[in-house]
Amino acid sequence: MTLTGNPPLGAARIALADNASIRAAHLLRRAGFTPTRAEIDRAVERGYEATVDELLHPEARPDLEIEDLIRRYHVDQNSLMLLESSQGYWMYRIINSQRPLEEKMALFWHGLFATAYGKLNHAKAVVNQTHTFRRHGLGKFADILVELSRDPAMIFWLDNKDNHRDSPNENYGRELLELFSMGIGNYTEADVKAAARAFTGWTIDNTEYMSIRASRDSFWPYGRIDWQFRYREDDHDDTEKTFLGHTGPLSGHDVIDIIVQQPATAHYIAGKLYNFFVSDRPDEEAIGIMADEFIRTDGDIRAVMRRMFLSDFFADEAVRLGRVKSPAELVGGTARLAGSHQSPEWTISNLAMDVNFMGQEILNPPTVEGWHTGMEWIDTGNLVERINAAGAEMRDTARPGVRAIIERVKTRGNRLEPRPLAEACLDAMGMFEVSDGTMNSLVALAAPWGEVRFDRDDTVACAEERVVEMLQLIVASREYQLA
Amino acid sequence: MTTTATATFSYSHTVGFLAYRGRGFIHPVDLTLGDGGVMYVLNRGGAESVGRLELKRVCVCTADEGYIGEWGTGGTEDGQFWWPSAIAQDGDGRLYVSDESLQRVNVFSPDGEFIRQWGETGDGPGQINRPADIAFAPDGTLLVSDGMNHRIQRFTVDGEYLGGWGSYGAQAGQFNTPWRLACDARGNVFVADWRNDRVQAFTPEGRFVGQWGVSGDGKGQLNRPSSLAVDDDGYIYVADWGNERVQIFAPDGEVAAILLGDATTSSWAEDYLAANPDEQRARREADLAPAVNPWRDHHRETSAGVEARFWGPTAVNLDDEGRIYIVDSCRHRVQIYRKSS
Repeated sequence: MTLTGNPPLGAARIALADNASIRAAHLLRRAGFTPTRAEIDRAVERGYEATVDELLHPEARPDLEIEDLIRRYHVDQNSLMLLESSQGYWMYRIINSQRPLEEKMALFWHGLFATAYGKLNHAKAVVNQTHTFRRHGLGKFADILVELSRDPAMIFWLDNKDNHRDSPNENYGRELLELFSMGIGNYTEADVKAAARAFTGWTIDNTEYMSIRASRDSFWPYGRIDWQFRYREDDHDDTEKTFLGHTGPLSGHDVIDIIVQQPATAHYIAGKLYNFFVSDRPDEEAIGIMADEFIRTDGDIRAVMRRMFLSDFFADEAVRLGRVKSPAELVGGTARLAGSHQSPEWTISNLAMDVNFMGQEILNPPTVEGWHTGMEWIDTGNLVERINAAGAEMRDTARPGVRAIIERVKTRGNRLEPRPLAEACLDAMGMFEVSDGTMNSLVALAAPWGEVRFDRDDTVACAEERVVEMLQLIVASREYQLA
Repeated sequence: MTTTATATFSYSHTVGFLAYRGRGFIHPVDLTLGDGGVMYVLNRGGAESVGRLELKRVCVCTADEGYIGEWGTGGTEDGQFWWPSAIAQDGDGRLYVSDESLQRVNVFSPDGEFIRQWGETGDGPGQINRPADIAFAPDGTLLVSDGMNHRIQRFTVDGEYLGGWGSYGAQAGQFNTPWRLACDARGNVFVADWRNDRVQAFTPEGRFVGQWGVSGDGKGQLNRPSSLAVDDDGYIYVADWGNERVQIFAPDGEVAAILLGDATTSSWAEDYLAANPDEQRARREADLAPAVNPWRDHHRETSAGVEARFWGPTAVNLDDEGRIYIVDSCRHRVQIYRKSS
């Protein structure tokens, strides 16, 4: 299997649905995690633009409705003390949230502002940071940066607790500019020093005790203690500074306001959003359109996302199925599609482990630069992991999502020949475009079966097993590994 | 200390320490009290991954912090635990542990030797789906809070089905994912009707008697009550799990006390700190009750930030000396209070 090539499906793209359905499926894949066929139908019925606006306002829908059940049955996901428990908790959110874009934005910001358990030894602190991304991820970029600068996990991660008036630590100030907002080459070393001084005094309570505990991974005597942001005015350098041409007794808030006004920031964030939501291959014209929207709206991420989702470049056939799903997208999305883990099951930690094995340890990214995405998600070893994990999710005919797919397939006829069966399965999964190569493989799988019959009591069970076999081959296809 | 006209409730001490094995607890969810102040503390452990299964165990200790030993481990074989949910002791000292993943009740000798198990998955009479709690009635029968079947069932100690009541819903006598239950001396049954945010009371035969609690975090209101206990004076102790507190209702139904948690370091914890003097010194200098930045679920966030508070109270037990034992599941300890009349 090869996932390279542009466009990925080539000229032999077979369309199995109308344009509205294809476009809705594309939107929901990018703004969420593998939509079900029913969700695609609903989006078509609602209309594309209305669906975009609904996605952009997650607060209008209820928060995770099984949160209490998760905490009850997984006491370890109530304390969130252990990394794997916390990863399992995020998988529940990806699978069950009715706010898919909120979850996707959390994953985006988590990748950009990558903060890792490995140094903190405090999983709940990283989970709390992702909650901050859920609350503010579609808001003004300035607000996001303020919240990030106040976030205890970030303060610990980039040593701002060690950033004092009389002995500045530049780590946070440097990454704020280099990785979180503007990108290298758009500021000077003096700007880094000024930014660091502006954030002196932004710290957490009980710095020494919490530092000792983190450094020796001590959860004794009674588990982790949540870190609390504290602004210490007496440790803040309120003297004059010059930052990106602005001079005064600049505070952290002032520095953020200046950062957000920079065209470099608009371009940098637009580029990151484009890469995550549109295509692994940069398109400077498209990024420019998004950057202009960022500037026009004073860094309103919701507005930039809206402009992106409604653009021609987002609708372009060349970008559809042109992104490799991240492991969290693949595993969480397939579980959504299969309808697994809609209530607490101990196997949730297996899903989290699958994501780890595929190279994406959520809540524990490898470095402050986050993950290398796109084709770098794929190598021989983890491609096998991806296919096996996705196939395992589709294996059980009793799972509500698999059941819904089977029932939808049946509506295409009681007796299905190989090609109609393959088309019915693809359609029921919301996969409306495949290459002729993939179609040939699916038909070849079904060829020995001849006609699959749902119309006789003695053949229904066998027919449903055939459907499941087909679903398992579909999730192994190149198209399914892409979004 | 909280005082009512007739009773005083005051913090006594804390038993426990976070430990994967040996002297301490890891995500304890329930306990039962044996003779001589012995506590059998049931530990649910961590995620169900390789290397974490051995965390699931029963720790045997005393209310005055004596460590006796431990038994049990995670797994699916006879006598092993997957999602252990509750522990109870019969009149002969045998210990019963329910498991809401393996859908069974394991029976052990007082020393932890496996004797037998029973339980069948399903929603028919006598079948169980996520047994959340087990408790002995005064007549020696075993009541099971059948969580995902939204009902209470009664069995003999050998698992023979004797009857049951309840169905899914919010009407009187119905349940939504009930958690723990308790019996008073007369055999009346009290149920923490978890997702209905209320407590219900029944006669020994299962006839509805009354209910109290409405959703909320105000005085007398409940948010996902997990457990309850009833004393001989008629006081009812409710672990108000979602509000991270214990509410004590007087016999007249008024709130007699609200406990938020007052944990101090146990002697086991003090031993650890003494062996790590730099950590001990930094801890002494730290403010362990800092102002918490609230954002969503402020009760839980406060508990996560203030170590002395209850965090996930999952069980309330009483002894005959007026002591109240509260299992503090996310803090790996038991907080003990005392009632004085």
